[in-house]
Amino acid sequence: MDERFSGFGAFILYTITAGMMLFILTPLLLVMAASVSDSYFVTFPPQGFTLKWYAKVLQDRDFLEAMRLSILLALGTTVGSLLFGVPAAFALVRGHFVGLAAIKGFLLSPLIFPALITGLALLQVLNKLGSTDARLNLLIGHIVVTSPYVIRTVVTSLQLVDENLEDAARTLGASRLRTFWRVTLPQIASGVAAGGLFAFMVSFDNYPVTMWLANSEYSPVPLVLMRQLVNVFDPSVPAMSTIIILMAMVGVLILEKLVGLRRALAA
Amino acid sequence: MTTSDEAVAVLTVEAPPVARERSRWRLALPVGVLAIPMLAFLTYFFFYPALALLFSSIQTQDSRGIIGRPFTLAHYARLVNVELYARVLWTTLRISIITSALATVLAYPVALVMVKSRPMVTRVITLIVIAPLIVSVVVRGYGWQLVLQNGPKGMLNWILMTLHVVDAPISVLYTETAVVIGSLHVFFPMMVLPLASALGKIDPNLEDAARMLGAPWWKVFLRVTLPLSMPGFVAGFTLVFSLTAGSFVIPAILGGASAVMLGNLIEQQIFVVYDWPFGAAIAVVLVGLVLAVNGVSMWLLEGRRLRRPD
Repeated sequence: MDERFSGFGAFILYTITAGMMLFILTPLLLVMAASVSDSYFVTFPPQGFTLKWYAKVLQDRDFLEAMRLSILLALGTTVGSLLFGVPAAFALVRGHFVGLAAIKGFLLSPLIFPALITGLALLQVLNKLGSTDARLNLLIGHIVVTSPYVIRTVVTSLQLVDENLEDAARTLGASRLRTFWRVTLPQIASGVAAGGLFAFMVSFDNYPVTMWLANSEYSPVPLVLMRQLVNVFDPSVPAMSTIIILMAMVGVLILEKLVGLRRALAA
Repeated sequence: MTTSDEAVAVLTVEAPPVARERSRWRLALPVGVLAIPMLAFLTYFFFYPALALLFSSIQTQDSRGIIGRPFTLAHYARLVNVELYARVLWTTLRISIITSALATVLAYPVALVMVKSRPMVTRVITLIVIAPLIVSVVVRGYGWQLVLQNGPKGMLNWILMTLHVVDAPISVLYTETAVVIGSLHVFFPMMVLPLASALGKIDPNLEDAARMLGAPWWKVFLRVTLPLSMPGFVAGFTLVFSLTAGSFVIPAILGGASAVMLGNLIEQQIFVVYDWPFGAAIAVVLVGLVLAVNGVSMWLLEGRRLRRPD
């Protein structure tokens, strides 16, 4: 690729782009800096260096409990949304039936529906059903939100599968199941893994659905963090936030390795 | 969306008709059956709850909290007629429109640089734009709280005062401006990605031709690049608008009491006032707003199907 900007236009483009990069990174970097600064209140410029806030976070029973809940919930959500999403993606790519487009639209509709309202509507119905186990309710809500993401990544990778390879395997006597397991699945493995990882991260960070379905006993990480922000003053919040930022970065790097970021997120 | 369309196009062009025929008998069970579990799950836990919510927004709640008859549109009337609530509706619209407009103006340069630079630059920019998407919205809101902190110890105020731009600290936190800044930060990638993919599809020869014929850079942009990138713009604008309108966390952290949005009002009605029908009515208005914008954008994308360079 050659640079095809020149003169004043290029100057404007690069200045705005650099400004936006700074805009995107500043708040995150400031949180990180605050997490190792010595002062009790966050001040600018940050003072001193200490790891005591991390020590405090790692002894914080509430935070660790929330971490455990969030990780288990995200794992359950990942499994659930793969179980629903992968077969559905197969139906959408390989099926030839009436109303395919409508069904695809229906399966992807939670993506455009405001998540806040998805959670509220679900809460009302679960209340009526008398379902009071917050963990189960959260799992259901999270699967509703994450399964469309799985469908999207798996559909994309299924469309790139060479069906001739499957025909070859079948011709050579492999059973249908064996063909799927040994020929089809390896070709879509990275897409499935990316979908699963994406489901995990969406679940782990989800606030708008979680806020309706959690309760005081079972509160995932985003809710606990929000409570610390709004209701009480807690000097270890920057350290908690930094731990979450670093976890996210690891997730991003794995996604990038699996399928490339833009493909994973491209609408 | 577009990438998969192309993949379909490529596959249909390249797959010999024989393979198409064969895929039909290869599957003993119709493959469509595989969609049934998820269809059932979403019907029960997404579609039905949404309808139930719509239904409870036109009903009445008695003193015991039981929702039932008579049917009424009073809750909707209340949202529009009571000044306190109407203001929340306008604030939501205003913040969503300003955020989307700002995102558009700022995303064009970033998307252009993303598409037309050396691979290395493109990679770095893509990573910086996308990485924060995965970071919890609560954390990003908190980051802006630290940046915008009112008083001389806040980062923004410290910079402004050190550079002698202002003499006394300014108050940005807990205003609509803070909510716009936070929303822009959270939803900016949603504008850049569709734009970048639309810009990447434009035939560079078209821009070159305009340049050869003597058009200055800004004219090339306005007359060639901009019209051809419309699909990306429409998709991005819709996404940013919908997500901003339906947000809760950013206004809660950065807006405080002075920039309450529909999402915060719903939460308050349900968790503080326990007024389910009114909360449901506000939710229906919010969903209607989002679906209307999505409908218009679909119509635009379908109706003005721009010829893609082959």
